[in-house]
Amino acid sequence: MSGSDLLDRRLVVVTGKGGVGKSTVSAALAMLAARRGKRVLVVEVDARERVAPMLGGRPSGPLIRPVLPGISTVNVDPRHALEEYALMVVKVRAIYQAVFENRVVRFFLRAVPSLAETLMLGKILHEARSEERGRPRWDLVVVDAPATGHAVQLLGVPRALLDTVPGGPLRRDAEWMQALLSDPARTAVVLVSLPEEMPVTETAELDAQLGEGLKLPRGPVFLNAMPDARFTYGELERLRGLSASAPPLGPAARSAVLQAEQQERAQAQGARLGALLGRPLLPLPLLAADRWGRRAVERIADAMDGQL
Amino acid sequence: MGALLRSFEGKRIAVVVGSGGVGKTSVSAAIALSRALAGGRALVCTIDPARRLATALGLGTLGNAEALVPAEAFAQAGLAPKGQLFAMMLDVKRTWDDLVTRHAPDPATRDRILGNRIYQQVSGALAGSQEYMAMEKLYELSTERDYDLIVLDTPPTAHALDFLEAPDRILDFVGNETARKLFAPAIDAGRFGARLIQAGTGFVAKTLSRFTGSDVLSDVGDFLGQFQGMYDGFKDRASSVRTLLTAPEVGFVLVASPSPLSVDEALFFHDHLRTAGMPVAGSVANRVTPDLWPFPGATPGPDALATALEAEGAGGDLAERLARTLEQHQAFARSDAREVERLRRGCSGPHVTVPRLEGDVHDLSGLAALAEHL
Repeated sequence: MSGSDLLDRRLVVVTGKGGVGKSTVSAALAMLAARRGKRVLVVEVDARERVAPMLGGRPSGPLIRPVLPGISTVNVDPRHALEEYALMVVKVRAIYQAVFENRVVRFFLRAVPSLAETLMLGKILHEARSEERGRPRWDLVVVDAPATGHAVQLLGVPRALLDTVPGGPLRRDAEWMQALLSDPARTAVVLVSLPEEMPVTETAELDAQLGEGLKLPRGPVFLNAMPDARFTYGELERLRGLSASAPPLGPAARSAVLQAEQQERAQAQGARLGALLGRPLLPLPLLAADRWGRRAVERIADAMDGQL
Repeated sequence: MGALLRSFEGKRIAVVVGSGGVGKTSVSAAIALSRALAGGRALVCTIDPARRLATALGLGTLGNAEALVPAEAFAQAGLAPKGQLFAMMLDVKRTWDDLVTRHAPDPATRDRILGNRIYQQVSGALAGSQEYMAMEKLYELSTERDYDLIVLDTPPTAHALDFLEAPDRILDFVGNETARKLFAPAIDAGRFGARLIQAGTGFVAKTLSRFTGSDVLSDVGDFLGQFQGMYDGFKDRASSVRTLLTAPEVGFVLVASPSPLSVDEALFFHDHLRTAGMPVAGSVANRVTPDLWPFPGATPGPDALATALEAEGAGGDLAERLARTLEQHQAFARSDAREVERLRRGCSGPHVTVPRLEGDVHDLSGLAALAEHL
């Protein structure tokens, strides 16, 4: 799939190695979709919230809150997801409280393999398919998913349940969850990478795990913080010779040489990633942003606009 | 030798901490390398190194065992160490299994625990498990081997506190009394009478099993029951690890990249280390953009550069691009400098700043170059 119809999905899951800019890409995708008139929910997964503050709002916590026109955010955590789900199942709050006393719940969430992931994914997917007055509550749900290993664990939950749970309500939940997650018309998993060695290697591994492994529909891969090629080969030869000159020319020439070297390394890593994945990447610019706030997100959204 | 490495003279253990992706592994390996070059027996213990760095250190498939970095590797890099450098990659699951084997009262209990589904969760995916095992391995290495310096490269923990609290959190988990009473009725039943216990827990267990299936609950009960007898052994061990980490022979190194999040994380960690009485050896700001315009006033505009270029016989629109490039470079340098300053002020012990080196550090000569800055 190319990037062109990404924002027409109901659910876009953004993942990648830690520190590559997943939250920025999630925020920018939401901003671009909102500009196009969509109602967007951005979900962070049990994280130190970054998206709402980046967009200039307060952290939402476990309850959905509007942050900008057209954009709401929420931070799902296992305890609230469990409470919500359990109340749907047992229906009576007194029973919930008797069974899910704090210390036991904490223990239980950690002990039972994938329970926390199941509950959080259930909550996310519930939002992605929920309807209000006969139309979808959200046009688009963007998930700022955890990094690599945890993302695979999270997205692999329904499949794991289908392999192990023979019947009952949990299996029925797993069935609709898997149907939504694996439907290329409704869902896309987007990867974010940086043009550096470790992130490129990890992105290629993650892509294989999500695609061949979990059979999830893969969307575009964003290559974040890509420096632009600014000088010709001949100019650089010249500038190298001028690097030791007196100011202002010397420092300017050195900055140009450093920029070009960084660009060249990034280009090589980007090419390596493209070859490993066998599909084109969508580059996002390296911003000389002094502070990482709403303006930076807007610039990333601008850069996406031509590509999505 | 730089200020940070000097602070390790007389110390036997370095614990390198910081958020993910800041170059902890390279800094760890460089600290160990410099001790080996100076004549010591040094070990770097890492979790998940970049492949080329792993190859450079001779870490192929060697899980959980120390390997000597071969002399040819040094010769290739033009280095002549007076001592020896060892490297190992921590295998979390193996370390857990060894620990269970060490504490299990008999082979039958050991096998039951090793085969339990909940144990597999605990030893694999449970948050804090890697951190706990990293400390456990450090303790084992420091008490059973005779290295002059052991450098522990810590797991890429999302939050600093997770590292320090990992042993308590895991011990609270495996020794959770409330949960054991709830889920291990079969074991208590022999002692207190099955009916009494069933009356109290049957309802809770039944409700919970609607979420998980009853076989998972019986696994939980079995796991907690089996672990009960080993709990004291685990607890004693964890308290020895904690004592070790407060010893003066230990030094924590805080590594950060010059980004607000990374520096926040390092400062947060620093304060908790101080509160816990753990010795801080110093801080490293890694991959810092160099300041190319340390002069008063703004960077030169296109006109000034055009004049200078003409004097060199060059022209065209190059001046405009040069002006923009230097200005952007300085924007990065300024924001980096601000973060480095925050790190330096907030941390005790010597501080070193490592400029952004050419590409990733991925071989011994790269590590030696990095060590020059430490």
